[in-house]
Amino acid sequence: MFFVALVLVILRGTRPEFRFTWLIGSVGALIALLITLLWQTQLPLAYSLPQWEPSKLFAEPPAFLVDGLVFPYAIAITGLTLAVLLTTVAREDAPSSLAWAGTLLLGGLGLMAVTANNPLTLVLVWCALDIAELITQLGSANTPKASERIVISFGTRLAGTYLLLWANAVSVSKSTSFTFTSMPVETSVYLIVASGLRLGVLPLHLPYSSDSSLRRGFGTMLRLISAASSLVLLAHIPAMQESMTRNILLIMTIIASLFGGWMWLNASDELTGRPFWIIGMSSLAISSALAGNPLGAVAWGSALVLTGGMLFLISVQHKNINRSLLAATFAMSALPFSLTASGWQGSLPVVIKILLLVAQGMLMAGFIKNTLRPGTKTSLESMPSWIRSIYPVGIFILLTIQIALGFLGWDGALQIGSIGMGIGASILALGLIWLLPRIQTLSLTRTRPLQSAASTGIDSIYRFLWTLYLQLGKITQFITNLLEGESGMIWVALFITLFISLLQQEAK
Amino acid sequence: MNAPLLWIFTPIIAGGLLAFVNNNRISTNISGLTAALLALIAFFIPIDKALLLGAFSFKLSSSMQLFGRNFIITSNDAHFLTILYGITALWIFGSAVVGKARRLSSLGLSFIALLVASIAVEPFLYAALTIEIAVLIAIPMLASTNNPPGRGTIRFVIFQTLAMPFILFSGWLLAGVEASPSDLALTSQAMLMLSLGLAFLLAIFPLYSWMPLLAEETSPYIFGFILWALPTVTTIFVLGFLDRYSWLRNSTQFTEILYISGILMVVTGGLWAAFQSNLARIMAYASIVETGLSLLAIGLIPNQSTNIVFMLIIPRALSIATWSFSLSMLKEKYGDLTHSSMQGSARNFPLASAGVILANFSAAGLPLLAGFPPRLALWEGLAQSSLFSTFWLGLGLFGLMISAIRTLAIMVITEEGIPWKWRESLNQLILLGLSIILLFFMGIFPQAIFYPLLSALPGMFIHLGQ
Repeated sequence: MFFVALVLVILRGTRPEFRFTWLIGSVGALIALLITLLWQTQLPLAYSLPQWEPSKLFAEPPAFLVDGLVFPYAIAITGLTLAVLLTTVAREDAPSSLAWAGTLLLGGLGLMAVTANNPLTLVLVWCALDIAELITQLGSANTPKASERIVISFGTRLAGTYLLLWANAVSVSKSTSFTFTSMPVETSVYLIVASGLRLGVLPLHLPYSSDSSLRRGFGTMLRLISAASSLVLLAHIPAMQESMTRNILLIMTIIASLFGGWMWLNASDELTGRPFWIIGMSSLAISSALAGNPLGAVAWGSALVLTGGMLFLISVQHKNINRSLLAATFAMSALPFSLTASGWQGSLPVVIKILLLVAQGMLMAGFIKNTLRPGTKTSLESMPSWIRSIYPVGIFILLTIQIALGFLGWDGALQIGSIGMGIGASILALGLIWLLPRIQTLSLTRTRPLQSAASTGIDSIYRFLWTLYLQLGKITQFITNLLEGESGMIWVALFITLFISLLQQEAK
Repeated sequence: MNAPLLWIFTPIIAGGLLAFVNNNRISTNISGLTAALLALIAFFIPIDKALLLGAFSFKLSSSMQLFGRNFIITSNDAHFLTILYGITALWIFGSAVVGKARRLSSLGLSFIALLVASIAVEPFLYAALTIEIAVLIAIPMLASTNNPPGRGTIRFVIFQTLAMPFILFSGWLLAGVEASPSDLALTSQAMLMLSLGLAFLLAIFPLYSWMPLLAEETSPYIFGFILWALPTVTTIFVLGFLDRYSWLRNSTQFTEILYISGILMVVTGGLWAAFQSNLARIMAYASIVETGLSLLAIGLIPNQSTNIVFMLIIPRALSIATWSFSLSMLKEKYGDLTHSSMQGSARNFPLASAGVILANFSAAGLPLLAGFPPRLALWEGLAQSSLFSTFWLGLGLFGLMISAIRTLAIMVITEEGIPWKWRESLNQLILLGLSIILLFFMGIFPQAIFYPLLSALPGMFIHLGQ
């Protein structure tokens, strides 16, 4: 994918009139998808970059591993990349070859993130994705508010990255090397919070602006790849013991899942609701990780990318495409042999399961509602015949992958799972769909107070942090003035006297 | 021919002569080429080994006597000289692009040569004198008739000058300690003098107040050059002390002093950086953190941590060079480097702003950038001995991270409707582009390019890092 992206950039620079750049990009993505499918024959598949030197300081080189656990993410990302390129032809604002190159680049980085075999590799890829997103977003930000949000979002994700490095320190202090296979249980809490922070779940905040100018296509790619790269960490976390910390994290996750589900259910359209979809589905993945169910975390994460990808990429109206979207609801239902069938394994208290089930129901209902919404999208029938042939393929690829993953290809395939939870979520989702137009209290206008209440809560946290920052700033300024002012030399003399007397005492 | 004459006295003389050349371009080219040539010779020509060139036999001897003092440069020092003169050459060539060639091309070369002399001189306590001369030579670089010396310059000279008597005294006392190692009172006095001398020399908390002051009142490019060269060579000087005296190397008290000083510098430098509203001052605090990291590495396990100290050298040079180069360009355009002046600068000077931001992130240890691998090594080494100390290191780096994010916010948040434009010149774009690529490359492949040079550096010491 990197190679094809490079080819597209070179072609753009040397032969801007070249007519087959889209074709080259799409064929490149198709080859990537086929190669990813072929990985199945050789799982587990490992690859390492050259060892960092001096080797006695760096125990682990950057390395990659595809196994039965992370395969769904790998196939989801390559499938999404191809789908984005195939569906781009039908959009009015059909992007340039640079956007296609960017899509391939993101796909490659996403693939590297989900196959990272140790935390060192993961932090490197996380930062690459964060920087790529920062540059792309800033390039399209037109207002000071938008730029500010992009910087805050970047800073929050960096905090998540640093938390992963702190987990590394904790691991090393226990004399354990920090690899995904040997992480001590003590690091679990840091890893879950690191992932949650990057996803906007722990604590609940909106890392992405819903009014971003990057909408379908590249915007979807950016959002979903970024989410998948953070979610993959959950697949490697050692099971946490029952503790107060775990319970607090669970409560925060439930709040985030209900908030995300509710906002998604009431979003005015699917692109506006996209950040809430990511928060809601990520919360379910995090709760699986907290329940000691890494398969479930992978299942919810893959469903986030695959089903979300389908919905967010669709920009035209067509009966069969709408049907395929409804079929995709099965993948997130947790019913037997669905992609998320393993989602409800693991030990969680019943009350918590019920609350999470409500969140899942809302997410499913929101998905169906957005599918059935009578939109203003262009009809596929009005497009040229070659687009009519290619466009649906992009959507059906994602549907095929999610259905196939329910039956084969990874450790969570062919699972019966928790039938009761699957049926419960489905009934709840259908019930909500039936109720929504009938009960006024569930209408969109009622969600605004909730949104503003949530943002007020988040704002008050930011305000508190800002006040703390200002107070600390005043203290440092006071010390700086002392040392840099006219009396600074006297303070230095005092310091030297103190230093000498301390050393003398030590010597005695 | 001998090595000290080539790497110490030739550049001093060349620098002196170039001071009389009025044409900036000629002066920069000669100075830069001299430094580059010295780096290449250090890399390719062996010292103390006969070299056959056809019928001619040539040998570069390692020592030279001057006024009864020896200057010794052995083959073990060659790689360090390659790094030092190579980076100096890049710095001098860069000075032409930012318009600071006049001051750096002649004096910069002499400044570096004097710092090399401080490592080569025997008895080593004379190093204090050569460092002092280097500091005095730096004054015309930092101040001029148009830009008279301010409080920062004066403090710089005072603090560096105060280091000299303490180091001279310690050298005198250390000779006594060598003669009678059981004399604890003498040992303690020697250690005290040495600690104070090094505290002034390395600008240990709170003796670094000259750095942010100087950052505000002088050219960022010249200041960056001093910030890179002086602490790098003095760190090697400290390692030389430890290597020479086994009692010092094995003294838990001395290593503890280094360790605590390192932590203090990292924490105060990082936290102070987080609250600055002048970009040049942030660079000064980042440099304080860098020196703190070196001390922390030395104090951690003196016999094993030299690798980390050497790993810090090139990323430090690269990030300060990129940082000061970018700041110079921005100062030229905006007049000063306060946050209020820099608002939205990224829209007009995207690459220069990226240079400032990425260099700041590199200093904060952002993964993917050059500063990350050595910080990761130190981070893990520290975690093995104490998670508490690791927390303080993390806090210092977090402070730098906040300063980088604030700078990013200041540079990108601007009024509505201002388009992105590249206002940098082609030369500036090329230099900045290359340095940014190198920042990333060294962060992803730290073992490539420079590792062969760095891996040979522990050879400079007999006991450390062996």
